[in-house]
Order: sequence, then C-alpha cells, then structure tokens
Amino acid sequence: MLDLAYISAFSGLRSIGDGRGVIARERRGIAIATVMARKGQGTALAAAVKEHFDINLPLGPHGSGSVSTSFLGTGPGRWLVTHDAGTPRFVERLAQQLEGLASVVDQSDGVGLLRLTGPALLDVLAKGVAVDLNTTAFPAGSVAVTQIAHMGVTLWKVDETPTFHIAIARSMAGSFLHWLEASAAVTGLVADG
Amino acid sequence: MSISRRLASGGLIDRSRPLNFTFDGKTYGGYAGDTLASALLANDTMLVGRSFKYHRPRGIFSAGPEEPNALVTLRSGPRAEPNTKATTIELFDGLKASSQNCWPSPQFDLRAVHQLAGPLLNAGFYYKTFMWPAAFWEKFYEPAIRASAGLGALSGLDDPDTYEKSHAFCDLLVIGAGPAGLAAALAAGRAGARVILAEEDFVLGGRLLGDTAQIDGVSAASWAALAEAELGTLPNVRILKRTAVFGAYDGEYGAIERVSDHLQVPPPFVPRQRLWKIVARQCVLAAGAQERPLVFPGNDRPGIMLASALRTYANRFGVTPGRRIAIFTTSDYGWRSAFELQKAGAEIAVVVDARAEVSPEVRKLAGNAPQFLGAHVSDTSGYRRLTGITITDSAGKTRRVAVDTLGVSGGWSPSIGIATHLGGKGSWAEEQSAFLCDERPPGMQIAGAAAAQWTLAQALENGALAGAKAASQVGLGLQAQKSIVASDEASGATPMWLFKGSRRKAFVDLQNDVTATDVALAAQEGFRSVEQLKRYTTLGMATDQGKTSNVNGLAILAGEIRKTIAETGATRARPPHVPVAIGAFAGLHSGKHFKPTRLTSSHAASAALNATFVEAGQWMRAQWFNAPGENDWLTSVTREVKAVRSTVGICDVSTLGKIALCGSDVGTFLDRVYINTFSTLPVGKVRYGVMLREDGFVMDDGTTAHLTADHWVMTTTTVNAGKVMQHLEYCHQVLWPELDVQTVSVTEQWAQVAVAGPKSRDLLQALLGDAFDVSNEAFPYLACAEFHVGNIPLRLFRVSFSGELAYEIAVPAGYGEALFNALMQAGKPLGVTPYGTEALSVMRIEKGHVAGSELNGQTVARDLGLGRMMSAKKDYIGRTMAAREALVDSNRPTLVGLRPVDRSHRLRNGALLFARDVTPAPDTNAGFITSTAFSPDHNHWIGLGLLARGPERHGEIIRAWDPVRSGDYELEVVDPVFVDAEGARLRA
Repeated sequence: MLDLAYISAFSGLRSIGDGRGVIARERRGIAIATVMARKGQGTALAAAVKEHFDINLPLGPHGSGSVSTSFLGTGPGRWLVTHDAGTPRFVERLAQQLEGLASVVDQSDGVGLLRLTGPALLDVLAKGVAVDLNTTAFPAGSVAVTQIAHMGVTLWKVDETPTFHIAIARSMAGSFLHWLEASAAVTGLVADG
Repeated sequence: MSISRRLASGGLIDRSRPLNFTFDGKTYGGYAGDTLASALLANDTMLVGRSFKYHRPRGIFSAGPEEPNALVTLRSGPRAEPNTKATTIELFDGLKASSQNCWPSPQFDLRAVHQLAGPLLNAGFYYKTFMWPAAFWEKFYEPAIRASAGLGALSGLDDPDTYEKSHAFCDLLVIGAGPAGLAAALAAGRAGARVILAEEDFVLGGRLLGDTAQIDGVSAASWAALAEAELGTLPNVRILKRTAVFGAYDGEYGAIERVSDHLQVPPPFVPRQRLWKIVARQCVLAAGAQERPLVFPGNDRPGIMLASALRTYANRFGVTPGRRIAIFTTSDYGWRSAFELQKAGAEIAVVVDARAEVSPEVRKLAGNAPQFLGAHVSDTSGYRRLTGITITDSAGKTRRVAVDTLGVSGGWSPSIGIATHLGGKGSWAEEQSAFLCDERPPGMQIAGAAAAQWTLAQALENGALAGAKAASQVGLGLQAQKSIVASDEASGATPMWLFKGSRRKAFVDLQNDVTATDVALAAQEGFRSVEQLKRYTTLGMATDQGKTSNVNGLAILAGEIRKTIAETGATRARPPHVPVAIGAFAGLHSGKHFKPTRLTSSHAASAALNATFVEAGQWMRAQWFNAPGENDWLTSVTREVKAVRSTVGICDVSTLGKIALCGSDVGTFLDRVYINTFSTLPVGKVRYGVMLREDGFVMDDGTTAHLTADHWVMTTTTVNAGKVMQHLEYCHQVLWPELDVQTVSVTEQWAQVAVAGPKSRDLLQALLGDAFDVSNEAFPYLACAEFHVGNIPLRLFRVSFSGELAYEIAVPAGYGEALFNALMQAGKPLGVTPYGTEALSVMRIEKGHVAGSELNGQTVARDLGLGRMMSAKKDYIGRTMAAREALVDSNRPTLVGLRPVDRSHRLRNGALLFARDVTPAPDTNAGFITSTAFSPDHNHWIGLGLLARGPERHGEIIRAWDPVRSGDYELEVVDPVFVDAEGARLRA
C-alpha cells in the first residue's frame, strides 16, 4: 500500500530578528478549493451555499464564513473556499454538494497558507502590497487578489488586530519567505508553531 | 590646527555630542546636527572640489539640496557614493568623505591647466574643437574627454547594503516641512485627514531653522519643534524625515527615504534606502524656494555663497563661514541676511544693493555696515578663497573691499519642479519675478514660497489654508483654524540678471561651468530656445538639475534674443526631482532574487541525488544528475538516456503548465482553441493538441486529458503556461462568454513525475500494487485515470515524450517529494535512474518531437510536420490566417532530421543550412538547425532542423555552415524520428 509522507508548503518558516513585530503561523491541514459558478447558475449557487453552509456567498472582494468554512470572493463568479475542520475529502464533498451549480477544483496543495499578525504587520505588508490595507479602506473581511514582490497572493483580513490570512503559490514559498524575512526581520519575525 | 568658525553658542546642533570625521584624509570635529558642509565650514574648510570643465577651485555655495559645487564621495570601498552633496550629508561619527574631480587635491589640482584652454572650452566646444580628423573621435577625443571631465567614480564593487520598497496611502501628502508644509499638515491632521508629511532634511522646519523670527511668541525653530510634537500625537499623521519626494505620477508620488545614509553602516536588517510609492488623494507642494545667485565677473570663487545659506549656517549650525562678509543683493532678503549674520556675531563689511532705492526700514537691517545702492560687484579676487571684491557704484566709480566671504541674493525661485511632472510648465509671473505653476497634477495645491508667498506670515497662512482645503476635498469638515502670528518682514526684490565688469568669467551654472558668454554664444549661433540652450551649453544638467542656474540662464538668453522671460519660457522639469540610486528601484530584487524562484516538490530530493539545476522560466529544474565519478555533463546525460531506453527512469515534470477546464462546453471550447478535434475525446483518454495564435503561427502544444464528463486537464509547455492561461481566459471571457466553461490553473496543485522506459510498467505496478491495474489491456497508450490510494488522490496518464513506454503520475504537491522518493525506492530492483531536462531533450530529439526551439513563434503547424492535424471540419483560432499564401508555400523550411556525414562531427544549434553546391549567402539559405543532441542510440550527434522543402529531401546531402563557430560540414537529411519510427515501444 502506497504510503506517502506529507510536506507542507511553509516547512521552511523560521524566526528571524529581535522582537515580535510579525507573528507567522502556517495554516496546515486546510482543505482549499476554487469554486467557479457554472454558466447561469449564480443565484442557485448562492442558495445552495446558504443551505449547506449557512453562508451568504460574497459577491465582491470579501470573505464570509462559518466556524470552519470560508468563501472568499476572488473574481466574478469565483471563490476560494477554505475549510479547517479536517473533514476527509472535503473538496470532493463540496463538489457533490454544488454539482451542476459550480465547478470545484482542489487547490489544497497548490497554495501555502500563512496566518500573520503582530503590531508591525501593516508596515511589513506595505513593503510588498500595493493595496491600502488601512481599516478605512480595507476593513476586516476584505479580500485582495494582488501581488507581493512579483508573486501572486490572495490575502484577506480576518480581524482588526490585525490578522491576515495569505495564500501563495506553493512553488514560490521559498521566495515568499525571503521577502517576508527581509521585510519583517527589522521588527522581528516569529514563527509560531 | 585650523581656525574654528564655530560660534560660541547658538544653533540647533547638539554640542554635547561631538563627532569626528575625515575629509580627504584629514580628521576634523563636528557636532550631532551638523551637515558635512556645516562641519567643514566650522573648520574653516571652504574649498571642497574643482569645477567640472575648468577645474577651478570651488567652495560650498548653498546649505541645501540645490548645491552645485560641494559634491563629494561619501565613504570608501564598496559603500563609496560619488556625487553626494556635502550640504545634505548628515554628519555621523567616523564619516569619511573625499573630494572629486581634482588631482592630487582640491588645493592643488594639476588639471587646472584647463583654465588656460578656456577659450577653447566654450559652449558646444565638443562639436567645434574635436571635429578633425574623424578617426580620432572614438580612439582619442572621447577617451581623453571622458578621462578629464566628469565627476566622481563608482567603486565597481558590489553594494553590501540592501534597499527596500514600501507603499503608503493618504488623504494628503505634504511635500516639504517648512512653515507652509507644517501649517498644512497641522490643518489637515487636526481635521482628521490621513496625512503624510515628507521632508528631505533630517529636521523639520525648512527655512524656520535658519531664521530668528518669532511665531506665536516663540522662536521659529521652537515653533517647528512644537508643530512636530503636535503632529506626532495625531495617529492619522505620518512624518517621513530624510525623505525626498522625487516625482509625481498618475495619482501616485515617488519618494526616497534615506534610512541609513546618516549611519556608518546600516544596523542589522535595516535597508540603506527605502523607495516609497505614495498614493495620495490630495497633495500640498510646499517645497519652498531657492535663492537665486547673481551673475557677475568672478562670481565663482570659494567664499561666494548664497546669502540665505550664510544665514542658515549661522542660525542653524552656529557657524560663520567667514571673517569679513559682504552682501551683494537685489532683494530685501539680502539685507535681512546681513541683519541675521550680524546678530549671530559676524562682521558685515559692506552691503551692495543693485537697486537704486531701498526703503529706510530695510536699510536699517544692515546696522552700521557701509551701504552702496545702485551699485554692483564688478570683480573679485582670490584663488583658493575670496580675498576681495570690487564695487562699481552708481556713478561708475570703483573701489575694492577686502572680504573673505560674499553673500549673494538675487531673489527667489519657487521650487515647482514636481508640479510640472505630469506635463505642466511654469509660467513667468512678472510681479513675483518667478515661475509659477498653474497647470498642476490633479489634487495638487502649491503653498508657501513655492507659490511665491514670500513672507513667513504669508507662508504660514497659505499653508494652513491649503491643508484645510485638502481636508475638505476628501470630505472632512472644515475646522476653525488657530491663526498663526509671525513677525513681519519685507519682501521686495527686483531681478537683475547680469552685471558687467572685469573680463573674468561670469558663471551662470557653477556645476557645469557655463558662463554668461556661453549663453550669449549659444544665442548667437542660433540656439534660441531654452531647450536647445540647455543641450548645447549643458546649462541646468547633472546632479543639481540647474536649481540655482536655470532662471538666470534663460533670463540672460531672453536678453540676448530680445524677448521677455515669459516669451522665452523655462525648460521642462522631469522626474526624478532629486537623484535616486538605481538600487532603490531594484529593492530586494537583485542578484538571484531578481525574480521569484519556483521550486518543484522534488527539489530537495533531486539535490540530494547531486542534481545540477537549470532555470526554466522561473522554475529550477534538474538538468542532470551527477553519478559518482562523472565529471562532464555529456557522460551523465548519456547514462541517463541509456537507462531510460533500456530499463526505467523518472523525471519531475511538474513544471509543465496544468490547467483545469470544467463545464459542459469544454469539448466545444477546445475544438476552437486547438487545431485538432477534442470534443470526440472519450473520458479516460488523452490527446496531443496544437494551438495557434490568431495570426496562424503555432503558439503552444501539449496534451489534454478528459478526466470526467465535465472535467478536463490541459498541459502546456513550462515556459508558455502563463501565456496559454491568459489566452484561454481571453477566449472565454471575450470571444465566447456564452460557453459553460470554467478554467483555473492547477500547476501548483499537482506534482507530476514521468516514469519512462521498458520497465516503467513494472515500476508503477511495484509502487501501486493492487491499487490500480496498469496492464496494457486495462490502461493502454493515451489512457488516463484518477483514483485514490487511501485518502491520497492520484492521476495517471499514459503519455510519452521520450518515445518509450511511459507514464506520468501525479499526486497533490504536498506528497510530491514522497512520491519521487517512493519511485526511487520501488524502482531500486529495476535499476531506476532519475533523469533531467537534458536527457529529456535528447530523447525528444531522437523521437522527433518538437519543443521550444521549433515552437519559436515563426513556425506554422505544417512546418513542424503537424499539417495533417489541422482539422478541415471545424473552425479554430488561427485557421484563416494560417492559410495565407506565404504560410502554405511549399518552399517554407519544414522539420527534418539531420545527421553528420562524418559521424564524428558535432552539430550545433543555429548552424545555417544550404544545398551542397551553392555559395552560402542570405538568398541561398535553406534553413537552420533548431535542436541538436548526442544520440546514445546512434552513437553520434543528430539534429532537427527547418529546411526548405524538407520532407522531399530525405537522403540528400546538404551543407551546414556555421561561421560563428567556424563550422562547415555535410549533413544527411533524414526523417526526424530517429528511434522506434513505428511507435511500437509506446504501445508495448
């Protein structure tokens, strides 16, 4: 029986510098899927999402979620769904639940996920993100599909602490960490867990 | 021991923090709060360099970023920074600086002989003097000119420091923290606006720092400190010191923050400089104004300075640059400077005003100093330091006064450069004797001296109004503003552009050694537009961009061509307003971090197997694996190919683009983007496809698998993955939005490994056991399947690039490394060999498969031997254009196989192909070699090429001509498929 060990995208995450300006934790074991509305099924899809997850499907660059599942608007008719309750084969189940209404494509391994927080976070993110992340322009729940240091990222503000979740293509995890370390070390980057 | 010119008290320096520094190897002392210029002046060091063309001794001229003379090289070794203005260098302990453009020293410069050649070095001398003979241009004149002119030199060493970028967003960007800028920031900040206040200097205050005026009952400098303290308490205000805004762009401003330039070495993790992109809804340009010098004979001697700079050195730095100071002015400010200098304890020897009438209140400012009205300075003396001036009075009588310092004041030029970056231009306002800017970037106001609001009271009021207006523009309520009370001052000025006198040179541009005579000569020779004048004479070029010379230059030009200044106009200022290091624009992206690097999941495992990696786009791929004892790449690659052809090899192919296509109309969609038909492809099958650009040329190729009814997965070449994804999105969103198709990249989701060779099936069986039946019957050539082993989803494709029995197996990328290792483990008994992109390439060339070298953007499907795939039963992108006459010409170079007649000969890519009996020439060229490889199967080099009428010429001997690498040899044209032409191995 084939038994393969799993390596997460950000296994190279480490602390650097003095201080606790940014605290980073890799979100492991999260099921991630791209959900794309089928032609003409937007309304029915929203109803199905409401029914199965009690979530109002966001129709813009926002996230909405229940305890374990979040739908993040990443484009017209397109969402990034994350699920952190460890339900086996969650993406397959989601595809069945939304059968005929949306195409569901597994991305659980395609992106690495980080949870970032800390007092220096906004200053550090400003070194890469050309989007105004201030509360007035980017309140909690906002989602941006943008780039950091020439790498595509999806980031969403979870709360006003502030806490951000950020998704980066797996193959670029090393280059992303280079940017994060170079940008956050001055105020201290703490790898948490 | 040099004389100290430091005043006993006063100034904004911190006398409790003495600092040591070195200039040209000599050690001096200064204080925290000094600039290099103020510290040098305090040590009675005025002469700091030599001029650009004539190598004339030059001294410190200003106290700010407009400095034309005092350019030094800061630091040494890899951190050396040439052309740095001593007037803006913040002094730090251990600072080392050296003079430039002189040898051996600024005191004694051998190149000063250039002054003797002065008559030859006038405007346009390059074009006039170095004309004949033409053979000397490149070999003699240019090297000679370059060696003797120019400023500082780069170290040529790698910069050890880092640079970074940052983004900021605000309601209001205030550029400049002088009186107007501070007032604007306070007004908008108090109203609740998000404000960024950017100041180039390391202390806020601008002219307030050099002034003894009173504001709200306290000294100007104290008021600036109080304003800074209040701004610091406002959470919506951010102060960026040492930050120069250098450009206005569409809705954005560029700024450079000199984070560590005032430190010996940046602390750990701190960049030297930070490049800011500031997105501002409103902007107040409060960059102040620059005092204009006066143009008169001998006006460049060390000791002749801007009068306002003298005032700044006295009040801000507690330094009097000279013993006996004269003032030459055409404005009330000159008198004010005389007053302030006297107050600080300096001796004013004489005040010369070119205006015939000056009000008694202003004249009182000079105290007991002798005064001359309607007079001018007509000559100066002294070589390394000014020793005296000659005054010509209103009656034409001359007298000489011994002074070591002369302050000049010709009125003020508003600093409006940034306001003109989006295409506006300054226009001459006669009343204010200044260029003002009406056409500004959207959302920008100009306040204070930059808007010719000359007096302190005007600047403060004007700035506060601008700040309040900006706040209301972004929807914030108007706040009642506290009025700011400042002491009154006179601001009369009458510009006078050129004073005649002795035959000495009267300099307009000190940095470029452009004289009034040069300007006149340019006008006489027909260079009558300001832009022509600038380029012909170099007036206003280089590091100071003519901040002290432009207005004087064009005013003199106007006089020469008998036009008004308004008619003559000004040159256009373009970004950057101040010099910005290239390293700051690169930020973190230098060296191997120039672009992000993408690593496959088997990267570490491959490295452990001694892989040599190669860049493929942003990816790093294993190129070959060094086995023990191997020390040349061809040995390794040949071994890998032989292993695949005889047993089994594995190769990470995750980097190929993978695109999921979902929806009920994917078949139709693919029919339209590929030249061949896909709608008929059953579930569980893979097909090779070719897609064209709109113009009919081949864009990319790859396989697409039909996984389930509504789910397909396309592969693209590694390099074109992004382009194909973009193309598909365009096709769907723009051309055929009616189709039920959804696309998303899954390149990152799946780690995919090619398993190739006659034993590949055995290897997969060993790996998968009973989980999946890989027999030829159950899983024939071009089959695909998706299944689970435990909770791990797997995808299997029976495709082959090598021409052998082969599969590609995919798992979610988190399991990628484990899969690679499991294949190595399971394949041990079979002799499994990892292979890299070189072996992959050898095998595809042997098999006659086209790749990047053939899909070069200039080939159509027929050229690649793929013409038969072009369906006649359907329409697809590129179909019509591919039918153009030139693209169906039977003479087009078409894919062939090539082998050397002399089998020992090495083939090289790019060699040109000719018929055997023709002379190589462009019109006899019949094609070229696209790909070459040493074929272990044939034991000689083989190649693929594009040859005119190729398929008809199999068996013909042709000539390969490779003049670049001295190659000229014969080739036999053969079928491009060198191994297993029948394809039996694929289907085994």
